[in-house]
Amino acid sequence: MANNVRLYLTCIRNTLEAAMCLQNFPCQEVERHNKPEVELNTSPELIMNPVLICRNEAEKCLIETSINSIRISMKVKQADELENILAKKFLRFLSMRAESFQVLRRKPVQGYDISFLITNYHCEEMHKHKLIDFIVQFMEDIDKEISELKLSVNTRGRLVATEFLKQFI
Amino acid sequence: MILLQSPSRFLLQILHDRLLSQDKGVDIDCQTVEFDDVRYHIQVSMRNPKVLVLSVALPLPPEEAVSFDGLPFGAIEAIKAAYGPVVQILDPPKDGFDLTLKINLAKLPSDEEQKNAILLQIASIREVVLGAPLKILLKNLSMKTVGPEAGQPVALVHRPNESFFVVPQADKVTVVYPMRFLDSIDIVLATSFLQEFVEARRTAALSNAPACMWSQSPPPELKDAPESALTANAGFVTFVVNPRHVEGKKLDRTVWNLLTFHAYVSYHVKCSEGFMHTRMRRRVDTLIQALDRAKSDAEKLKKMVTGPSFKKLSMKDRA
Repeated sequence: MANNVRLYLTCIRNTLEAAMCLQNFPCQEVERHNKPEVELNTSPELIMNPVLICRNEAEKCLIETSINSIRISMKVKQADELENILAKKFLRFLSMRAESFQVLRRKPVQGYDISFLITNYHCEEMHKHKLIDFIVQFMEDIDKEISELKLSVNTRGRLVATEFLKQFI
Repeated sequence: MILLQSPSRFLLQILHDRLLSQDKGVDIDCQTVEFDDVRYHIQVSMRNPKVLVLSVALPLPPEEAVSFDGLPFGAIEAIKAAYGPVVQILDPPKDGFDLTLKINLAKLPSDEEQKNAILLQIASIREVVLGAPLKILLKNLSMKTVGPEAGQPVALVHRPNESFFVVPQADKVTVVYPMRFLDSIDIVLATSFLQEFVEARRTAALSNAPACMWSQSPPPELKDAPESALTANAGFVTFVVNPRHVEGKKLDRTVWNLLTFHAYVSYHVKCSEGFMHTRMRRRVDTLIQALDRAKSDAEKLKKMVTGPSFKKLSMKDRA
């Protein structure tokens, strides 16, 4: 199982390294505007083929690239009801702080749980390989955090139940 | 503080302060609200410094709950039995409250320990009044007798407009709680907590605790209960209480724990959510630090240069 995660993340990392070749490209339609082309999706010559990397039916990652921007959307594993609400709560928490994350998109793409939008300006400010490291670490951290939250809920539940029942002995 | 405490800290604090400063002239008129819609109003006026007037408002009972004169049945006898001459019930209660008591500090026993015990009892007024019907049923259990309601579910109030059910029998008392929560996240968290109760009961250390069951649909004990009481979005919890759990000193503690079970679970669900928020904030900080590491050194230097360098230049100028 652990091997599976490594393979999935390595695949994503390699794809990102290949896809993240961004350069500044002023908007073709409107003068003096500079927009991320992947969001507009108007001119086919500026968009590259999107790549979908699936680990299983529940987890997948969609990478869409254009000449000046790249959009990465992820769907996180949610096994049961509790993981479902924990993931939703955590990802909404992150999305609301998208301003401080800079590369995070405020709303995830339809059908996915969380999305990143990286533009050429980000690539100019930050080292490309460090940015890719950040994205991959982010994915690992989300999984780790959700399983830790679930564990803390179960541990607390056990403790609460034990304390209550001990009162009767 | 994992368990909910029976004496109200607010009342205890005011009573102790009043005892310490009996001669100083300060009027007190305080109101407070506790969990599940219980309100207290305490008044002392300097015309009678030894007399405190305490008013208590209880949660609104639903239609099926048994009550008598606005107070749960057995409450008045319980108050007289618990406090003796120190407390006098005023009839009718103050406007907006269900019970008003006059507490005479001059009639407190002089022995320090007994005095503190009575003050603790007064601060636990909630347990005495709301727990009175449950205490009667459990006392019957400890004496192995059973009243006229054997086998029928009795509805008692523990939250505004909601009740829990007690089915008394000769050798055991079954207590069933329909668990309802407003928020959808609360429902999922509470369901996982309640299932932990069932799991915890199975461990060897707790085999003497009351048997505990959880089910999504109403259990068979409630088949005679009214329809409106049978919807619960977080399932039904059933405890089976034996005479062993209510003998002697354990009776009061059992009454308090059963009375505040829903509040206890709700409190811990909220604590859990607060803890999750703290964790998430910490995780966000870690991730932002990771992102900062990605920034190139040139960018970081640009941000640092504008600050101190001005000061450095000006100092050199002077020198």
